Amino acid sequence: MEQEKIWAGDLQAAAAKAYDNGRNSLVAMFANDERQIDGHFAIYCIFSLAQTPYFKILKAQLHESEPLEFPSVVPVTSAAAWYEREIHDLFGLKPIGHPDLRPLVLHENWPHDHHPLCKDFDIHTPVPTVSEEYKMEYVHGEGVFEVPVGPIHAGIIEPGHFRFSQAGENTIHLDAKLFFTHRGIEKAVEGLTIDKAFYQAERICGACTASHALSYSQAVESIAGAVISNRARYLRVIVAELERLHNHVGDIGNLCAGLGFAVGVSNGARLKEELMRLNELVTGNRFLRGLIVPGGAALDITTEIAHEISRMLRAIETDFIEVLDLLRENDAFLDRVNTTGILPRQAALDLSVVGVAARASGISKDMRRDVPYAAYQNMNFKVPVYTSGDVAARLWVRADETIQSIRILRQALAGLPSGTLRVEIPAIKPYSSGFGWSESPRGGNVHWLMIGEGNTIYRYFVRSASYANWPAVAVADPGNIIPDFPLINKSFELCYACIDR
Amino acid sequence: MTMFIDAIQALILLMAAPLVVGVIKKAKARLQNRRGPVLRQLYYDILKLLAKDSVESPTVSWIFRITPYIYFTAALAAAAFLPIWLYGGGFANDLLVFIYLLAAGRFFLVLSSLDAGSAFGGMGGSREMFISVLVEPVLLLAMLTVAVRSGSTNLFAMAGTAMQETFSLSYFFAAGAFFIVMLAESGRIPVDNPDTHLELTMIHEGMVLEYSGRPLGLIFWAAALKQLILILLFVLLFVPWPSFGAGSLLLQGISIVVKVVLVAVSLAVAETVTNKMRLFKVPNFMALSGLLSLLALAAQ
Repeated sequence: MEQEKIWAGDLQAAAAKAYDNGRNSLVAMFANDERQIDGHFAIYCIFSLAQTPYFKILKAQLHESEPLEFPSVVPVTSAAAWYEREIHDLFGLKPIGHPDLRPLVLHENWPHDHHPLCKDFDIHTPVPTVSEEYKMEYVHGEGVFEVPVGPIHAGIIEPGHFRFSQAGENTIHLDAKLFFTHRGIEKAVEGLTIDKAFYQAERICGACTASHALSYSQAVESIAGAVISNRARYLRVIVAELERLHNHVGDIGNLCAGLGFAVGVSNGARLKEELMRLNELVTGNRFLRGLIVPGGAALDITTEIAHEISRMLRAIETDFIEVLDLLRENDAFLDRVNTTGILPRQAALDLSVVGVAARASGISKDMRRDVPYAAYQNMNFKVPVYTSGDVAARLWVRADETIQSIRILRQALAGLPSGTLRVEIPAIKPYSSGFGWSESPRGGNVHWLMIGEGNTIYRYFVRSASYANWPAVAVADPGNIIPDFPLINKSFELCYACIDR
Repeated sequence: MTMFIDAIQALILLMAAPLVVGVIKKAKARLQNRRGPVLRQLYYDILKLLAKDSVESPTVSWIFRITPYIYFTAALAAAAFLPIWLYGGGFANDLLVFIYLLAAGRFFLVLSSLDAGSAFGGMGGSREMFISVLVEPVLLLAMLTVAVRSGSTNLFAMAGTAMQETFSLSYFFAAGAFFIVMLAESGRIPVDNPDTHLELTMIHEGMVLEYSGRPLGLIFWAAALKQLILILLFVLLFVPWPSFGAGSLLLQGISIVVKVVLVAVSLAVAETVTNKMRLFKVPNFMALSGLLSLLALAAQ
């Protein structure tokens, strides 16, 4: 992978060149404390390019004796805003020129001088609680009022605080404060062996667990140069697509809950349950854990199970299409989803939005097709793209993808080659790094790893699809009425656990 | 004697109201392939809440404290005025008194929703007023159709007239108009969603979000009673057949119970086949009801 080493002071200029006025996009940006290796902090920027090679990595180095700051990349692309705030929180490196340096990951109760991802921060250090004010953004003006929502909600929803600036029912501005349950997984796995850290990676999130396992495993294999068998590649495709199926079907049902359409909700829940029982049959786990492991696959799919999957797919496809017709022909339903919560294409580009949200705003982007992994290069499928960017577009993208997933599953089951399941991960040269990616049901999911002594984790960074897409919710909502927010939020269906890693 | 009958009637309706909610919930659950809670679930909930202490925000005033009792009493009083047994009735059985009893309960509920200063209460209260501004005239209009026929706004006279009428187009339109109003007034889809946990979309639930314990139990009970009152009104004024009059109290009672259950099930069906509409589309929906009422008047 092409990796360009630069001095941190040149980061902004180099990033501008790599970003190429929006022709390319920022995939991830994170720091690493490499002072023990060569006396430097490093800031990595991964860009995805419009042509091959698909990725370009910038490695900006900052010597420990220099002032701990670097020129912000936010003037180049807004997508860098969250990454830099996170680097500021976790490493104490200050992006100069960042317009909004409020804490992101560590809230106002965390002291300013404790930077947990620095290597000299011991994981058992007692951290004092401080009390400062966290300033939420708001709009001034006559008749403008604020509506605070969360972090504790009336339903079983993960914690997030949303501050709406309202003129009557109309939302003028939305500011979200998230990361209430940040778990510090990236720190916790440091020093663990690759195999042990895997279990934490797989459990970052319940909804995209296979995708996390896949991205992590591919990162390890890419660093180790391990080549896995074809059978394992096909098995991975099957598991990844089963995950997409139960997510998309469940999300479509959940979206109906956002507008109180009970028939859609119960049909979605029923189909999702059937799919999750199928998951349990295939992997022994309703969330598809345990099959994908570094080095290949830990479980096999026997011919009987393959038959059972095919049989279930037939039944579910028929049912699912019936449910979709129910939605497509329902004017009351369409009235709620059409033109609600529009994410403009340019905003999606500026924020480097990924996955379903990007494809609903007219950006044709799918890592399965663009940078194939596992056995996706052998699969024949379409990437649905809608241009209206509203709740309906995100819904129909999911609907079309569900059908495509079933298509991919049929091909993978039919073409399942024979071969060994798993290869050994050899000893890896210390301080080598690399990353893996997969298209989760919510979008691209990127895991970056640096391996330390004895095949242990030196640094682990996770850029989930939800992390990339959360800022887009705050763009799509203003201009809509506040009772439509739950619907808009559900149409993005972003995950809190994926950002609280 | 009249007062005694009224009081007995109000108490019977009060006791029956949670069961009607149970019927609606059960029907909804069945329509959605769910098993649903047992029919008597709301009785358990109310009993549980009545035995519990209430938690109050330190910022609330006396309005917050008395509102559950006023809301409850208003509903109970309205229940006493329903012309179920058709024995006559006096001034208090006037249509306007009846409607404004319900409105008084609503008025206090909206006041109290603003009292705690929570954003959801304020949103719920303002939406409730927004909708009631639309609902009340339409409700009156629908009922006036019957009042014009009977030449009186006395509920007993209206129910009596309705019973002697044969089926007419005018009634059909008015019934449609009233059914729409009933959906809105009892906080059901497509206007409000009684099952939602999404604070931002709530109307009735948003207003009572600050309540807990006994006051909440009273509000639940009163809301169930108000819903039963609306259903009964619909049954008495718009579906009076088959009628057995004062002559056969038993048959009249059975006929009313059957019709109430049927209307409850139809509410569940209406709520299942559609979804909540955009808040600002509610005026159109109410206009539809108003239009039906006008048609009903014109078709006289």
